[in-house]
Amino acid sequence: MVDFKVAAVALALAAAFVPGAAYAQANTAGSAASEIVPATPLPSVPRDQTLILGWSITSPVGVTNPWALPGYTHQEGNNLMFEPLMYYGIYADKYIPWLATSMEYTSKDYTSLEIKLNPAAKWNDGTPVTSKDVVYTFEGQKKNDKLPYHAAFDQYVDTVTAKDDETVEVKFKIPAPRFKFEVLTLKFDTGIPIVNAAWESKQKDVNAAAGGTEIPHSGPYDLVAWNANQKIYNLREDWWAIKAGLQQDPAVKRVVIVNLGGQVGQNMDTVAQRIVNNEMDSSLDMRAQVIGNILAQNPKVQSWTGNDSPYGYLDWWPNSLWVNTQLAPYSDPNVRKAMSLAINRDQINDVLYDGAKIATIYPFPLYPGLQKFIDSPAVKAEEAKYNPGEFNLDKSAQLMTAAGFTKNGDGMWAKDGKTINATIQAFEGIHSDIAPVLVEMLRNGGFDASVNFGTDALQNMIDGVPGFYLSGHGASLKDPYAALELFHGRYSSAIGTSAGNNRYSRYKNPEYDALLDEMAPLGADDPKFQADAAKALGIYWRDTIDIPIIQWLHRIPYNTTYWTNWPSAKNLAMGTNGAFWAHTGMLVITSLKPTQSP
Amino acid sequence: MSTTLKLIVRRLLFLILVIWSASTITFFVPRFSSRNAIRERFAELARTGGFSPDDLDKIIAAMQAQFGLDKPLLQQYGDYLWSVVHLDFGYSLNKYPATVLDLISQALPWTIGLLIVTTILSFIIGNLLGAIAAWPKAPQWMRFVATPFVLLTGVPPVLMGVLLLFFIGFRLKLLPLGGAYSIGVIPNWSWGFALDMGVHQILPGLALILGSVGGWVLSMRGMGVTIQGEDYVNFAEHKGLSGFRIFRDYYLRNALLPQVTGFALALGTVVTSAIVVEGIFGLPGVGTVLQNAIKSNDFPVIYGIVLFITIVIATLMVLLEFVYPLLDPRIRKQ
Repeated sequence: MVDFKVAAVALALAAAFVPGAAYAQANTAGSAASEIVPATPLPSVPRDQTLILGWSITSPVGVTNPWALPGYTHQEGNNLMFEPLMYYGIYADKYIPWLATSMEYTSKDYTSLEIKLNPAAKWNDGTPVTSKDVVYTFEGQKKNDKLPYHAAFDQYVDTVTAKDDETVEVKFKIPAPRFKFEVLTLKFDTGIPIVNAAWESKQKDVNAAAGGTEIPHSGPYDLVAWNANQKIYNLREDWWAIKAGLQQDPAVKRVVIVNLGGQVGQNMDTVAQRIVNNEMDSSLDMRAQVIGNILAQNPKVQSWTGNDSPYGYLDWWPNSLWVNTQLAPYSDPNVRKAMSLAINRDQINDVLYDGAKIATIYPFPLYPGLQKFIDSPAVKAEEAKYNPGEFNLDKSAQLMTAAGFTKNGDGMWAKDGKTINATIQAFEGIHSDIAPVLVEMLRNGGFDASVNFGTDALQNMIDGVPGFYLSGHGASLKDPYAALELFHGRYSSAIGTSAGNNRYSRYKNPEYDALLDEMAPLGADDPKFQADAAKALGIYWRDTIDIPIIQWLHRIPYNTTYWTNWPSAKNLAMGTNGAFWAHTGMLVITSLKPTQSP
Repeated sequence: MSTTLKLIVRRLLFLILVIWSASTITFFVPRFSSRNAIRERFAELARTGGFSPDDLDKIIAAMQAQFGLDKPLLQQYGDYLWSVVHLDFGYSLNKYPATVLDLISQALPWTIGLLIVTTILSFIIGNLLGAIAAWPKAPQWMRFVATPFVLLTGVPPVLMGVLLLFFIGFRLKLLPLGGAYSIGVIPNWSWGFALDMGVHQILPGLALILGSVGGWVLSMRGMGVTIQGEDYVNFAEHKGLSGFRIFRDYYLRNALLPQVTGFALALGTVVTSAIVVEGIFGLPGVGTVLQNAIKSNDFPVIYGIVLFITIVIATLMVLLEFVYPLLDPRIRKQ
């Protein structure tokens, strides 16, 4: 009996040692990111001064440093801390000067750019934002190959010089007409924020430094608490932009971002219930059926288009069915055209969008600058020539027959006994409505289609497996160059290698490349640029590089029980989109007004 | 060497063997996949718009080298075994610069708090109800209390959770719809917070308990029926012992013995239940972390969690071998 007691105690101690050793490791390993707990209890903030947002927080707790990768994302509240030289209001089609009062090309060939900083801009520690910070940010991007815009800086930037505390001159190696917009301006989810040189330069490894609450930032909100359940930000009353007259004193004194769990897009049914119950003010965007139900059950919830379909605003991520154009039979443009002819875009609009015209034939969103482009006679002529939106099963059949295919007993196109693999790789969280519709359309056209929502879908796109990839372009916002450049031959990865992000087509065409190369050094207003862009878009349609399907909508629910002045089709405000998680989300949040104020 | 010491040494060696086998299988299985956690993290960020690198391959290659993923597989295996010994799995590939232990230690309280408690409650309620259901002297009405639980046995926790959420949380607004505690509250050591947290655990707890009690009821009832006919129970009755004493000391204690093994195994399945329930109720526990790690092939995190579970279950099994003799004198004598 004594032996057993001793044995039991000994083993219990041994078992206790194991997790104890683990926790000892946790305490001494010097881990970079940890839970953020306020040193003193947070002051109470009433509900009508608190904004509650729902998001699946996937970045590690404590990471606030924009240069910490791959943990950092601006989407989970960090956009409230870091600011850019300028924002862009996409619906107003104008720049919103911020840390910089101006950014102007000083040479006609776009090889030099002068930036003038706002003298009122300050970090939260009271020190001014100076040219030193801008130079450090730019040179960091140029030298550190782990940073997201390193390739752009490496390709274009020659020198960065501080002419004085508020003036920076950038010299480019080659003409860089789009560098100011694409890289230096924050809009949607692209562009770079300015980081604090003093803090970053002290870090042993900037990519591993978490940041926590100690990292200096210029944005209006301080991170005060963060754990696995939520992030809490408090407004700092000394935010420089108020004194500078750029923004009024925000009514939102506290922002709470509730962790919805899982990956972005999961658990949205529960989120919908919480929005209806007024537990949250906004969340990630919803599918059409879900937001319709939310609006029906709580009249205080509105969408971008009020209570009317399509409920959402145009996002920058129009989706196409991409294919690996280096792989047979997708390498045959006639086969690709035949597949495109099986897609009935009018039916997509009727079935999914209550007739709203969301289906598209363009690889970019129709924002004002791009709408102007597609309305040009040159583009209209190309469109008339290639009729990219045509739905015609007979024509599709003719093309497939000419390509050597015959229909088998199941009505599927086949050659040498094999049908064409038309599996659509897609993401269930965001494609659960459109993908099954596309499968049925393709099958009606004789293509052996199905959908793969598995966790390997993304990897399959990257690997270039046979079939379709339903994904967006995420490129152009103001002019068509960025979207068209996705198909430049330099991004065409060989079979057996990984495709770059948004470059799944692996398309290669010297004729197309020549047009893009000619466009690259030209401004978007240049007539030669416009003419080449129209021709390039014509080739995109002629060769059916991918099959454009739908513009992407962000159907974000906005609960007006506590907050009003959300951006909408009738209230464009500063012209930004209405996503609180985008870089411009800070402008949305700081513009909100309490519903219940006198 | 005494018999006891030999037993301990044998069990410990077996424990080490189990941990090594589990570690080795866990190491190699994710490596069979061609998926790349670092690439998928960047691609996910790019897809959701949080990151837009032009030279993704270069960045990924740089990070792969940093994590030692460019070394030969056997060398990586050696490094991995060394890290197992130190219980240090380094950084998460997907959530760098968070370490694996960061992620586990942040998530663990939520899993332990809810799931251990519900597992214990299911065990106690289920076995008690099962014992009563089989006890011939129990009042008739008490014997039918277990019936609803038995009917709910086949209902998976995910469905139970969704139903509870919809009817009790959404329609009736009686309980919160998700989260571990109220929005905006900072965890603290106060009764108010404990109550708040408790209220948030009711629905997830019910989702787990309602579906699992029935299993314990049925197995305990079966054991109870067997033990009723035993000589020692008859002897206790003829001796004139009180009904309660017979129930507790002769009937329940003996019927409980095999259930103890089942309980240890049930604790081991806590994490698999966690994956489901934590997802529905938005609880940031180990199940959620593991699910995300599997989805992104973040194998250091997978290793860490799987190894943690293995160590816990294996240790529990070994401990059980020493607990059993305390419950059953017959084994003690052997």
